[in-house]
Amino acid sequence: MSNESTYEQLSATIIAGDKDTLLATIEDALQEGISPSDIIEMGMHPGMKEIGERFARYEVFLPEMMMAAVAWEGAMKILEPKLSAAGTERRKVGRVVLGTVKDDIHSIGKNIVGGMLKISGFEVFDLGIDVTASAFVAKAEEVDADIIAASALMSTTMPQQKSIIEHLEGRGIRNKYFVLVGGAATTQEWADSINADGYGRTAGDAASLALKVISGKKKGASK
Amino acid sequence: MISFETVVERALTGQICSEQDFDLEVFVPNLRRMIDKYAIKYDPENPVPADDELADRVWAAAMEFLSDTGVYCADTERIIRFTNDEIEQALKGGPCGVVFGEGKDAKAMPRRLPEDKTPPWCSVGAGGSPVSSEWNLLNLVKAYAENPLGDSITTPSLTNVDGQMIVAGSPLGIEGAIRTTLLSREGLRRAGRPGMPIVNGIASAVRSQEHIAGHRFGFRRTDALEIGTFHEMKVDFDSLNKVAYSLAAGSLIFAENGVILGGLSGGPAGTAVVTAAYNPVDLLILRGAVQHPFPTHFDIGTTSTRDTIWARSLANQAITRNSPVPVVNIGYAGAGPMTKMIFYEYAAWVIGAVVSGGSIEVGGSARGVVVDYTSPVEPLFASEVAHAVAGMSRREANRIVVALLEKYESQLHHPPTGQRYQECFDVFTGTPSKEFIELYRQVRREMTEQFGLKLQHASLYL
Repeated sequence: MSNESTYEQLSATIIAGDKDTLLATIEDALQEGISPSDIIEMGMHPGMKEIGERFARYEVFLPEMMMAAVAWEGAMKILEPKLSAAGTERRKVGRVVLGTVKDDIHSIGKNIVGGMLKISGFEVFDLGIDVTASAFVAKAEEVDADIIAASALMSTTMPQQKSIIEHLEGRGIRNKYFVLVGGAATTQEWADSINADGYGRTAGDAASLALKVISGKKKGASK
Repeated sequence: MISFETVVERALTGQICSEQDFDLEVFVPNLRRMIDKYAIKYDPENPVPADDELADRVWAAAMEFLSDTGVYCADTERIIRFTNDEIEQALKGGPCGVVFGEGKDAKAMPRRLPEDKTPPWCSVGAGGSPVSSEWNLLNLVKAYAENPLGDSITTPSLTNVDGQMIVAGSPLGIEGAIRTTLLSREGLRRAGRPGMPIVNGIASAVRSQEHIAGHRFGFRRTDALEIGTFHEMKVDFDSLNKVAYSLAAGSLIFAENGVILGGLSGGPAGTAVVTAAYNPVDLLILRGAVQHPFPTHFDIGTTSTRDTIWARSLANQAITRNSPVPVVNIGYAGAGPMTKMIFYEYAAWVIGAVVSGGSIEVGGSARGVVVDYTSPVEPLFASEVAHAVAGMSRREANRIVVALLEKYESQLHHPPTGQRYQECFDVFTGTPSKEFIELYRQVRREMTEQFGLKLQHASLYL
C-alpha cells in the first residue's frame, strides 16, 4: 500500500471513529516504515480536521466528534512513546481543564467544546459535570494547564464561574491561567463582569477563542 | 406499572457501566441501528411531516431503542432497564384526563391527536427565563395570567435575593424558590385567577431541596413540579429525589425532556426517536402526568430551527398516535420581545406542535437566558395561534411553517434581542408600549392576510 493510501485510510478511520481499525492501520503503517510523526500529521490530523469542518457544517454531530476523539486518544497512547523515543514529541497547542460548574449537570455543550479543543490540538482534561471551583483549580495546578474552561447553563449556576476566578485570586495564581466561560446562561457582559479572559457564545466558538487567547500569551509568564 | 421503588432498586443494582461506555457503546450504536432499521430520514422540505406510517415507524424505533438501551443513573453508574412488557403496561395505564388547577381555573389536560380539533392546552409565561427583580416577576405572572387562553402558568426565574445572586444549592437557592412560589401565587391572585396551576415548579430551583422548599410555601397538589431527565437518557439521585418527594406530597409532575439536536442523539432523525423514547421513561421513572419535550438546536439554542421543528412535529405525531400521555411542548425563540422575528419563531414551532397532536408552553424569549428579555405579549400571541390552528391539516400547516421559516431562518445565528420587559412595557400599569401594540397588531394582521389564520381576540391590549 502506498503511503498516500495509508494516510487516506488513517484519515477515514478517524472520521468513522473506528478505534479498532485505526489501531490496526497504525500497526501496519509502522511496519511499512512510516514514521509516527507522519502517521499523525499526514493521516490522523487531516481526519480530525475534516470532522471539525463537517461539524461546523452540521453534517456530523457530537457522537462522531466524541468517537473520533476516543480513537485519536487511543492511537496517541501508542504513538506518543514512539515520538518521545525518537525525540520528536508533538507540540501541544496548550492544556485545558474543562468542566461544567458545581450544581450544573448539563454536559452536551461542554462535550462539544472538549471535542473542538481536541481537534484543534489542545490536550483536554475533562472533569465532567458538577465540578467545584477548587477542583478546577487543583487540576489546573496538577497538569500545569494554560486554560480553565467552565460551562454554566443556568442563571443560578453562573456564579460558580465567578467562584473559580475568586479561588484563583485567593491562592495568588490568577495570572497563571486563562479562564474562559460559556454556556447558555452566560453573556459577554457576564464574562466581563467577573473578569474572565474570554467568552464563547456557542460551543463551536470555544476552539477559536482558546487559540486566540493562548496566542496572546499574556498569562503564565513562566510558560 | 412497576413501582417507583422498583425503579430505584434497579438504579441501585442495575448493570454497571461507565458513562462514556453508555454514551458511545450503548446509546449511540443502538440509536443508529434503529434509525437505519426503520428508515427514518430528515426531510428539510417538509418541517411538518404528514406521514402517519413514518410517525409509527418512529414510535416503533423509539420503543425498541428504549428496551435495548435503558436509562443511565449517573450517581450509581448503572443502567435501569425495562422489558417490553413493562413499557407496554406503563403506557396502558398512562394518565388520562388529569385535572390541573383549582376552582374555576381547574381543567382537565386533553389528550390530542394529529390534526385534532380539540383546543390545545396553553401554558403561558416565561418558561423559566430569568428576571432581575421580584417586582418584574410579580407583574409578569399577573399579566401572563390575564391571558384568557392561558390554562396554566410557567413562571420566570428569579436571579437574586435582595441583590445577592441566587447560587444553586445554597440557602439563597432555597429562599429564591420560596419567593418564586409566593410571588407567583400573589401574581395569580392579582389577576383574579388564584386557582390557575403553576406547572414549571420551581423556576429558579435546581437542586431537589430547593424544589421541596418552594413546594412547601404554597404549591398545591394540582400544580406541577417540573422534573427532567438529562442528556441523554440519564437521571441522577437528585432527579429521583424530586420524584420521591412529589409522589409523597401527592403533587403532579411535568416530565421534561430537552433532547439536544446535534448532541448524543445526532441529527433530526435521532432527535425524533429519542424524544419519543422518553415518553414511557416519563411514566416509568419520572411519574409524569404530562410529557414536556423541547428538542433544542445545539448551536443556535432554540426550538425554532427547521430541523428541530421537524423532529418535534414527527415525535409528537409518533407519541400522540401511540401513547395516552399528553404532550405539552415548550419552546425557545432566539429573538427577544418587541421584534417581529420572535412572533414568527413562536408561530412556526407552535403550529408544527399543535397540528401534530401537542399542546404548548410559551415560552423562553431570547433563548430563555437573557435577564428580563421576556414579555406577556409573546405567550398571548402564541396561544392565539395555537387555538387558530387546532384542526388544521398537517399539509396546510407545513405550507405556513415553510413560509414563516423563510421570514426568519437567515437571522437565527444572530437574532435581534429586542427590548427588556421594562423597556417595552409600563411595569406599573402592566401595558405594552404603543410601539409594541402596533407591532403585535401588524403581525396578527400578517397571520390573517398571508396565512388565513383566524386569531381569537384574546388580547387585553387591542
